[in-house]
Amino acid sequence: MNDVLVWLHGDCLNPHGPALQAHADAPRVFVFDEALLTQYRLSLKRLAFLYECLLEIPRVEIRKGDVAAELAAAAREYDCSRIVTAESVAPRFAQIRAALQREYDLTVEVVALEPFIELSSTEAARLDLKRFSRYWNPLKARALSLNQSFDW
Amino acid sequence: MKLKTEFNDREELIAYLQETFPDAAARSPEISETPGGRKAAEAALAQIKPERYAATRNHLNGAVTHLAAYLRHGVLTLAEARRAALLRGGKQAEKLVTEFAWRDYWQRVYAQIGDGIWKDRESLKTGWRPADYAEALPDDIAQGATGLRCMDGFADELRQTGYLHNHARMWMAAYVIHWRRIRWQAGAAWFLEHLLDGDPASNNLSWQWVASAFAVKPYYFNRDNLEQFTDGVYCRDCQHYRNGCPFEGTYDELQARLFPRADEGAFKR
Repeated sequence: MNDVLVWLHGDCLNPHGPALQAHADAPRVFVFDEALLTQYRLSLKRLAFLYECLLEIPRVEIRKGDVAAELAAAAREYDCSRIVTAESVAPRFAQIRAALQREYDLTVEVVALEPFIELSSTEAARLDLKRFSRYWNPLKARALSLNQSFDW
Repeated sequence: MKLKTEFNDREELIAYLQETFPDAAARSPEISETPGGRKAAEAALAQIKPERYAATRNHLNGAVTHLAAYLRHGVLTLAEARRAALLRGGKQAEKLVTEFAWRDYWQRVYAQIGDGIWKDRESLKTGWRPADYAEALPDDIAQGATGLRCMDGFADELRQTGYLHNHARMWMAAYVIHWRRIRWQAGAAWFLEHLLDGDPASNNLSWQWVASAFAVKPYYFNRDNLEQFTDGVYCRDCQHYRNGCPFEGTYDELQARLFPRADEGAFKR
């Protein structure tokens, strides 16, 4: 039994993404979110770009429809009870994740992506996002140095 | 519903996509030459020239990276892009790394406000009320039929390629919002339909920046600026060049024309 199903979504289409690396043998599924495609009226060239990204991921399974329902169907088919996926800040991601847990009783584990700059949670919480300059000024020196962890 | 994953070539893939997504194909059937995938992303990353980028990025022919679509869909991470830029450019990579930071910033704002990216972050500094802006994007803009060579050229490029240079995005957004007085949301939605790198946070918050809903003043430009950074390729053949170019004038003249009711203080640089 596989147990884990990797959910690929449009915020992490890297064949070496952290969810795929942690579960190299697991089935991996991407679902074109039909409601979202309609809402955003996505053009064919955007879908083609996504599709080409997906085709470079070995053994990928691509579906379309209601994302939570399709993932749940795939989980049943492969006998998986856990879904592992990469983090995303999109509100739609949070909705789908909640639906998987609430409506389909699936555990969803979210894996962090390598951050742009390593920040402690206190530092991240203290960032001032009112303007870019206020966010950037305290981080700039660190972002421009390759050895950001002073590990000596 | 499961979809196919084996194709002999790109043509076969495109034919399958037309069948599988008939609504999208009917609305906008164009396919970009920009390929998706990690290999293409790595090839683009290998081509970056941080020093040239810093010197030429505002120019339409500048050494821009074309990484945005790969970053937007997480084919590459910002961390990888940052490392590559620093390894290649050292101190000269500051401009490029700062541009990567914008994406990190927009994502952090998105995490905080979610669908709030569709609402004005702050009140407008243009002197116009939100109700003064039209709801829908007029067809002549989306179809590239305004008669203005620059804007029509940008609209065509957007539809054909799914890409626009950042400066062209700014000019186009300013034209839509300030010259045509259309709600920024209509323009933002149009860009999201077409841009391969279309990210709701980066896109909408940048439109808000142009509109002055996320900035201390509106962004606008004049013809000299557009002409300079395009080598005049649009202006050269434009019927409006000597006759009613809406972008012709000094910044003060344009400010008086576009924002007659604005609070002067907002425009002090």
